[in-house]
Amino acid sequence: MSSPKAPTLEEFRTRAGLTGLPLTPEDIEHLHKGYVGLLELMQRIPTHWAWAAEPPQVFRADE
Amino acid sequence: MTDLTLLGIAEAGRLLARGDITAEALTGSFLKRIEEVDHKLSSYITVTADLARAAARQADLELKGGVRRGPMHGIPVALKDIYETAGVRTTGHSALRQDYVPAIDAETVRRLKDAGAVILGKLGTHEFANGNMTPDQPFPAVRNPWNTAYQPGGSSSGSGAAVAAQLCMGAMGSDTGGSIRNPAGFCGTAGIKPTYGLVSRCGIYPLSFSLDTAGPLAWTMEDCALMLDVLAGHDPNDQGSAKAPKVDYGAACHRPIKGLRIALARSWHEGTTSVTPEMKKAIDEAVRVLKDLGATVDEVVFPDIRDYHICGRVIITVEAHAIHRQEVIETPEKFGYTTRRRFQLGAFFSAEQYVSALRFRRQLTLDTRAAMRGYDLIMTANHWGAPDKFEEPQPIFHFLGKPSLAMPFNVTGQPAATICCGFGSDGFPLSFQLAGRAFDEASVFAAGSAYERATGWRAHRPKL
Repeated sequence: MSSPKAPTLEEFRTRAGLTGLPLTPEDIEHLHKGYVGLLELMQRIPTHWAWAAEPPQVFRADE
Repeated sequence: MTDLTLLGIAEAGRLLARGDITAEALTGSFLKRIEEVDHKLSSYITVTADLARAAARQADLELKGGVRRGPMHGIPVALKDIYETAGVRTTGHSALRQDYVPAIDAETVRRLKDAGAVILGKLGTHEFANGNMTPDQPFPAVRNPWNTAYQPGGSSSGSGAAVAAQLCMGAMGSDTGGSIRNPAGFCGTAGIKPTYGLVSRCGIYPLSFSLDTAGPLAWTMEDCALMLDVLAGHDPNDQGSAKAPKVDYGAACHRPIKGLRIALARSWHEGTTSVTPEMKKAIDEAVRVLKDLGATVDEVVFPDIRDYHICGRVIITVEAHAIHRQEVIETPEKFGYTTRRRFQLGAFFSAEQYVSALRFRRQLTLDTRAAMRGYDLIMTANHWGAPDKFEEPQPIFHFLGKPSLAMPFNVTGQPAATICCGFGSDGFPLSFQLAGRAFDEASVFAAGSAYERATGWRAHRPKL
């Protein structure tokens, strides 16, 4: 995934201020752990895509 | 017949049609059992006893007059409390909706009522089908009927517990990342996540609009099939609804499975993370049974289970935030402590990360289809092992642990069912999944039902 580097708690706190959410310091600590954890797992998602690789819509019954 | 709550839907339907039992007696038996037993489980948030008795009386009048609407006529069922019900509160297991009374029924509820089903009430759920059941919510946590110190799985927790404990004959659940199959597995019931788009989501609280599906849990695959027969169909009010040909799922349960080709995704449940030895043994034995019934089972390598897990999780996290953003800004304190954080987390993802996950979903769908070429079904474990004990505080981001075995079929949209295949030494059920091609629920029902008939696991019920 293209998110390069996990943010530090301090960097994450700054970012949290821009989300528009009313967050407690405890919320931010939990969210930081959750975000960093997901970011690590997201390394598995490819970064480069062909233009044709669009997301799926509803299945077509005649497919 | 001594205990009507032990009947399956198919059998009860036949007895009702012949006039051997009445819907009122059947409904009365379930209401009595709810009163006697549910204080141990808290599977129901709301019991609609008077409405149920009235619907049962109406069904009896019609059946006596020779009008039979179908196999669900007079059958008592219950609904996960994210299904909107006219005149009956729909709480989402949340303080935010604890007094909300919708004016109209969800499309699925309308279909069940049109088929003559009797609605017993509304069932506990993970808050808005996402956060855990925590003490800061207005309703008690649902307990596992096999051991009440343990979690029943979720998010359709009440649906799994109530079906297993004979507190309804079938229940509606929803499945965005395993929420039907997870409680079905931990409570030892059957359950099916239908193909994305087969069943309307109109009037059901959304979690992730591009992954949400609605479907039934019941004691057997055949009972799930009879419910799906009335639930499936196009709904112009659900933009994700597909126009698929009508299929008789009940009949599909009696198809022979000789020649059916099953791809065993062993690398998912015995890879970098592995199921318990008892689960592994039970699945190997299930493979043997399916082979004896005439199916071919081959090991096939699919994309890594962790790919589906993270792909689905990013999509759910972002879409759930979009849906609940206003309330996590205005009234964050009204959510449970796990739900609030899970809904807040989506605010930190970029558009590029979300779109990459959507593109990854497309790629995984194509790769899964390619790996499945030449096969009718995919088979894998339903869950890793025993459920978690109730302990506070609960993990806020549960998805940072083991990958979800259910997620592949949410990502690809394929139908996937949970089938009980035994019990561990701890007393908890063991289960596997069968997944079909898109809109081929019929093959899933055929194989699942054949397996259930060939084994004795459906005779075991939790003792309460």
